Amino acid sequence: MRCLKRKLISPYIDLELSARERDLLDSHINECRECAGELKKLEKIHELFADAETFKAPHGFSTRVLANIREKETKRFGGFVQILAKSAEGFAVLVLIFVGIILGSFLSKTLASEKGNVVASLSLDIFAPAPTDSIGGVYLAMTEAKNEK
Amino acid sequence: MHRNDDFDLISSFKRGDKSAFEEIVLRYQDRIYNLCIYMLGNIHEAEDVAQDTFIKAYQNLNKFKPASSFYTWLYRIAVNTCIDYKRKPLLESLFKSSKEGDEFVVDHPADSPSPERLYGSKEIGNAIQLALGRLSEKLRTGIVLKEIEGFSYEEIAEVLGVSIGTVKSRISRAREELKKLLINFREQK
Repeated sequence: MRCLKRKLISPYIDLELSARERDLLDSHINECRECAGELKKLEKIHELFADAETFKAPHGFSTRVLANIREKETKRFGGFVQILAKSAEGFAVLVLIFVGIILGSFLSKTLASEKGNVVASLSLDIFAPAPTDSIGGVYLAMTEAKNEK
Repeated sequence: MHRNDDFDLISSFKRGDKSAFEEIVLRYQDRIYNLCIYMLGNIHEAEDVAQDTFIKAYQNLNKFKPASSFYTWLYRIAVNTCIDYKRKPLLESLFKSSKEGDEFVVDHPADSPSPERLYGSKEIGNAIQLALGRLSEKLRTGIVLKEIEGFSYEEIAEVLGVSIGTVKSRISRAREELKKLLINFREQK
């Protein structure tokens, strides 16, 4: 069965025990072979990490970060402008259609009221009857006689 | 960590001085990059994720509240970005042919200074990196923040948004796993 104090060894290595807990464990390790062995193994792992390499950011890293940020901001602004432009375009088309409908409706009403005048202006009744002894009057008399037959 | 200086820079940024962010990047780029290397085990992925971390920090800096420390806030973004990056779509992962854990041995590009000062140092470094690759995401995150970044349990709890007890437990379990893995590596030699 595992020693109950074994779970204190990991925080002991990390200096995360209170002073009192540390003193108690120090005394215990002197008497417990299991815990002493466990401490030795975990200390070896801790030492391996101490020898592990530290990596530095590659040359130009910050320049690339700032360039990426600027690029994303430009794209975001450009995208917003595009959406705005497309919305304005769509709105303009709607306005044109609306104006066209209104205008068309207005024009058709105006034409209907003037229709009578237009028809009247195209009527042949505005012409005076042809004199009977004129070429036109003779032609008309001949045509009427033919029609009666 | 430069707590007061960080807040001064953030205040300047919020007042419209965008150049303050460049100072933040210069201050933290090495540490964030180092974290990403140990979380992901790949130089190119680490650079991409480290870049994404700073971009996200920039986009959200106006929302940052000084109640928490800036560096734990930044590390939280980095950790979450690393985790999201590793959770790639299943289709992509089907085409990955690396053996489990092997991707965690960092290969240095030809033009960088040689990291192998001693043969022993490279072996140790590789063993740690391989072993970290075999840990679960939660255990790896805890032990990297502790052993590589040197955070206290309280700081790790703040970064991960968990209790100190959970941090303690994860680090302890991570060490148990590493103990078994490193014995296996030695036996395989």
